[in-house]
Amino acid sequence: MVPGAVRGAARGNGADGMIERKERKPYWRHTKWQVLASIIPFLALVIVLPLYAEQLNANRFLGFPLGYFLAAHGFFVIALITVASYVNRQNAIDHWHGAHEDM
Amino acid sequence: MAFGARARMINPRLGTYFSIFAALYTALFLLVLIFEQLHFHEYLLRAAFLAGPIIIYAVIGLCVGTNEILGYFAAGRRVPAAYTGLLLGACSLGGTFIVAGTGAFFFAGFDALILLIGTLTGFVIMAIALAPFYRKFGAFTVPSYLGRRFESRTLRVTTAAVAAVPMLLVLSAELTIGGGVAQRLVGGSANGLILMLALAIAVTTGAGGKRSFTWSGVAQSIALFLALLGVATTVSVIVTSLPIPQLANGPMVRGLVRNEVNEGLQLVNVWPLAFQLPHEGFATLTKPYTQPFGAIGPLAFIIGIFAIATGISTAPWLLPRVAASPGVYEARKSLGWATVFSGLALLTISSVAVFMRDFTLDAVMSERLGPLPQWLYQAAADHMVSFDQAATRLGFDSLKFDRDGVLFALPMAIGLPSAFSYLLLAGALAAALVTASATTVSLASVLGEDVVQGMSWEPPSSQRRIWAVRGFIAIVAFCGAALSIAAPTDPLRLVLWALSITGASLFPVMVLSIWWKRLTAAGAILGVLSGFVVAALAILMSESGMLSISSAIVGIFGLPVSFAAALAASLLRPATDRHGLEIVRDIRVPGGEILYDREMQRLQLRKQART
Repeated sequence: MVPGAVRGAARGNGADGMIERKERKPYWRHTKWQVLASIIPFLALVIVLPLYAEQLNANRFLGFPLGYFLAAHGFFVIALITVASYVNRQNAIDHWHGAHEDM
Repeated sequence: MAFGARARMINPRLGTYFSIFAALYTALFLLVLIFEQLHFHEYLLRAAFLAGPIIIYAVIGLCVGTNEILGYFAAGRRVPAAYTGLLLGACSLGGTFIVAGTGAFFFAGFDALILLIGTLTGFVIMAIALAPFYRKFGAFTVPSYLGRRFESRTLRVTTAAVAAVPMLLVLSAELTIGGGVAQRLVGGSANGLILMLALAIAVTTGAGGKRSFTWSGVAQSIALFLALLGVATTVSVIVTSLPIPQLANGPMVRGLVRNEVNEGLQLVNVWPLAFQLPHEGFATLTKPYTQPFGAIGPLAFIIGIFAIATGISTAPWLLPRVAASPGVYEARKSLGWATVFSGLALLTISSVAVFMRDFTLDAVMSERLGPLPQWLYQAAADHMVSFDQAATRLGFDSLKFDRDGVLFALPMAIGLPSAFSYLLLAGALAAALVTASATTVSLASVLGEDVVQGMSWEPPSSQRRIWAVRGFIAIVAFCGAALSIAAPTDPLRLVLWALSITGASLFPVMVLSIWWKRLTAAGAILGVLSGFVVAALAILMSESGMLSISSAIVGIFGLPVSFAAALAASLLRPATDRHGLEIVRDIRVPGGEILYDREMQRLQLRKQART
């Protein structure tokens, strides 16, 4: 249970469950920072990781050349963590600002 | 929120139903396995594996037929996150990435990771920047969304015309792949089989539109994953004694690194913009498996990743899927599942490619190890490999593999019964069917909703809307089949074209429509059109040899043009539109009512007030 859920409820959202007007700007600022924080490191990795694969291939992990392993399995795990953490954080932001859907 | 209002909307028996399907599918496989050992007619077993699953899909599709608008266009908005994700994952790959993608991994090794990185990046961008907002808006098609968002009928029709092109390309690619796979399964003419598949798609999806597609598509995706994971795991257990093919192939990759160069595969270096994923048909291996950038240059690799990623994230046959999830939160979560499923499938086919490379290496080194392995002769008889059968010693340059046959040579190479090959073929066929159905239904909805009725916002009666789309489903399926019969093109290339055209024309406008309040309708129209024109021209010029960059990625150069056009047009002629601003504000907040429904209600009220 995030504290925001209580906070949002205590503030008394409108009858249709809409976010309060003055809460919209902080909500969107918060959301924007969260999106940038999720997507920029990820895209940087997308560009940088393959370029260094050749050098990394000199090392090994589980028998795989490291560069190949990171670009395949590592990338899969990174993408998963990025999406999962984004969903989790963004959901908390929604609740904090009372912007969540009616449950 | 197990007892929330939305939790109740989800059918609690879904898990039971699809467990029954999975059990049926497994039973079919086991029966065929048993009958094969009893030397039953081989042809009947192959036909059973072709017809059995297709009949089950059609029955599922017909049983969930519906005449309600919400059911027909958005599967009732009650598809749980995991199922939406499974469908998104399977549809983004399709038969092309599964069958031709295995070939790409087999030939290009490391460089084929562009498919995996591109797809996953696409889903991450979709999850973070697009899907939740699209779900909040709740439109049934991408052109409807853009049209309603900017209140512009011209934009709606333009987007519909532009989005139809990549969808038709993907449909044609999937039918070509599906026809090829079905031909490997039962023989006969590929053209006849393509027509039969188109008919099967029309029958399966016609009755219930998105709803039929959703539930038959889930069954098809399950069939794909059962087949792919089942066979790969079996092979992995036999070869490495570990049931995790994705991770257990490490030592074999090490073997490849150690021996391939000794056996005559040279390290290749290409110029930074080279893009040489293997073409259709037979080819020899040219580069060692783990060497990066031997087929695709580093620069082309990065460009290609973004071409695939932007295409996947705004694909008009994938994005409307999230409109069927019960809420914004589920839409976000479904993209997590999509990442899981697509990544899992792509890692599995990369492990299949490693296994095949290892078997090939054994064959090449067989002079020291003994006579040529038996599977090579069998695979040659099935048109997967070609080599000089009189030779006693093979080099990498005398062994030619069919790109689209590598996946199906795997069970043969390890000596598994033919039933495993049939299972894999049926799985690949299911993958082709799921993406072909997704494009058919999406394209038919776009044509029926946004082209035929594009000039008026007030929709006609629900019966007319649904029957218009039913008609278009039949027409689209037939057109796709006609296109793949009349102009057969390399499916992998077609899909890459489609993705880069989508990325160039729709991605900038879709992202700006959510993240930049000042985008105007004129800017959006100009962005969509300029991106499409540049992408299409670039592809045509590259195909005719006027550009030296491969046509598979060159289309994405329309993306910066489209961004620039949309920004310039909006900044030069700013328009303040209160209704538009209100919509953007509401899109950005998950809570509150679904905007598309609100808009439709408003229109209806206005209509009633007038009469």
